[in-house]
Amino acid sequence: MTSIEVRALTKEYGSHRAVDDLTFRVLPGRVTGFLGPNGAGKSTTMRLVLGLDRPTSGTATIGGSAYAALDEPLRHVGALLDAQAAHGSRTARDHLRALAASNRIPVRRVDEVLEESGLTSVASRRVRTYSLGMRQRLGIAAALLGDPAVVLLDEPSNGLDPEGIVWIRAVLRRLAKEGRTVLVSSHLMNETASFADHLVVLGRGRLLADTPLREFIHARVRPGVRIRTTDPAALHRALSEHGHEAVAHEDGHWTVPDARVEDIGRLASAAGVPILELAAEEATLEQAYFDLTATETEFAAHHQEA
Amino acid sequence: MAFVPVLHSELIKIRTLRSLVTTLGAMVVVTAAFSALASLDAGEEGFDPLFAAFFGFNFGQLAAIAFGTVAVSSELRDGSLRGALTAVPDRGRWFAAKAVAIAGPCLAAGLLTGVVSLFVGRAVLGADARTLSWTEGARGVVGCGVYFTLMALLAAGITALLRSGVATLSILIPFLLIVSFVVGDLSSGVADLLPDRAGQIVFHETWDGFLGPWTGLAVTALWAAAALGAGAWRVRGRDA
Repeated sequence: MTSIEVRALTKEYGSHRAVDDLTFRVLPGRVTGFLGPNGAGKSTTMRLVLGLDRPTSGTATIGGSAYAALDEPLRHVGALLDAQAAHGSRTARDHLRALAASNRIPVRRVDEVLEESGLTSVASRRVRTYSLGMRQRLGIAAALLGDPAVVLLDEPSNGLDPEGIVWIRAVLRRLAKEGRTVLVSSHLMNETASFADHLVVLGRGRLLADTPLREFIHARVRPGVRIRTTDPAALHRALSEHGHEAVAHEDGHWTVPDARVEDIGRLASAAGVPILELAAEEATLEQAYFDLTATETEFAAHHQEA
Repeated sequence: MAFVPVLHSELIKIRTLRSLVTTLGAMVVVTAAFSALASLDAGEEGFDPLFAAFFGFNFGQLAAIAFGTVAVSSELRDGSLRGALTAVPDRGRWFAAKAVAIAGPCLAAGLLTGVVSLFVGRAVLGADARTLSWTEGARGVVGCGVYFTLMALLAAGITALLRSGVATLSILIPFLLIVSFVVGDLSSGVADLLPDRAGQIVFHETWDGFLGPWTGLAVTALWAAAALGAGAWRVRGRDA
């Protein structure tokens, strides 16, 4: 199968270690979100996978071979690294035609990907006249040109309008459903949560997590219950009787951490507390991520003291 | 990866950048125009009709250099090089295709420049052109194509080496307009081996150094090959 395999990968720039002994696999058939703050080493890792930068040590392979060893690589791997990669004086169609020619991809594919990314009507305009969102669409079109089994996208939703964000989400889901290997970097948590099945999280060049999205969230943040009542005192009494700690919020609603709606609803109803609103509060990727990075920072601090 | 598709891709890139096509057009027009001007002012003692008919190469070579420089520097902006090397990870092959894609159109435009200059020059010279044989004329035409091509490749190699079009032009243009001119006037000998002076012998009816028209172009070719080699080394050796 065509998976991306990163083994003991390290990249140093001078004395700065951008990627530090990284090992993980990106498997086909799902969208893998590549998370981490700016400067965590996501883009560097992608460049190393694509053979653009040389690793200090370790290996990065795609389907078992180095990127540079692939014959006509665009037919196997599609990548979006930088939305500015197309020359401003060229038209979008000419940019894609040049790319297609180098890997003997039929010209028909150029029109197909232009259509798919909604650029057909502007395809003969110079890229210079494009908005950031349009350039981003062109970069994604270029990545899909060779109908590749492996797709790497660095911050694809950058600069996209709301419509574009919905579009890229659908594209990513479809690519994974078709059995392709999809790695998407982002620093936007909620955006990533909307399309990823699996997460690889980096911090300062090191691997912090490599787990399914659901598991990542549930291991760190317990879901809670959001509740609103006209009789706060009665609610508070009923909750404390059953050992729940409720937190009051300024706008009048309460949250009960680590609880399920089934229990809280039944409990409130039995105590005759009037309910205006009752909802399950899903844990977010953002909360889980900050929980993870908080422990990491603590670990780093302790580590330095010791 | 096969070489021909990569070359095809590089030719598309050159054809689709208007500034590059315009530069080749300028090469023809500027060379012919200055050749015509020089031919007007002809007829004195020791006058070389071949040199007069091709005199415009002094200005046309700047277009050749700009062509070679921009063809490479257009790949160096922002993430362009990454895009190019993602499509063609064999960097040596990519750069070789780039060089051939520069040489081809430049040779064609250079030969056309030579033909136009020769005919314009002969027309303006009129009777002064009687010592100019068709063999010499043909040598000038071929020399014009080859010389411009080699200068474009020299510029391409230096641009890849320095990773900057601006740096390349600010070295080559003063070099051609001033340094080579001054040094060449002061001393012949070693100065004849400079890339431009060696190649320009082909535009003279007679010569008195140790290099002839073809050996002179061979010296320019060595310079261009060295620049391309250094450029290829830089393209292959570094993080993109």
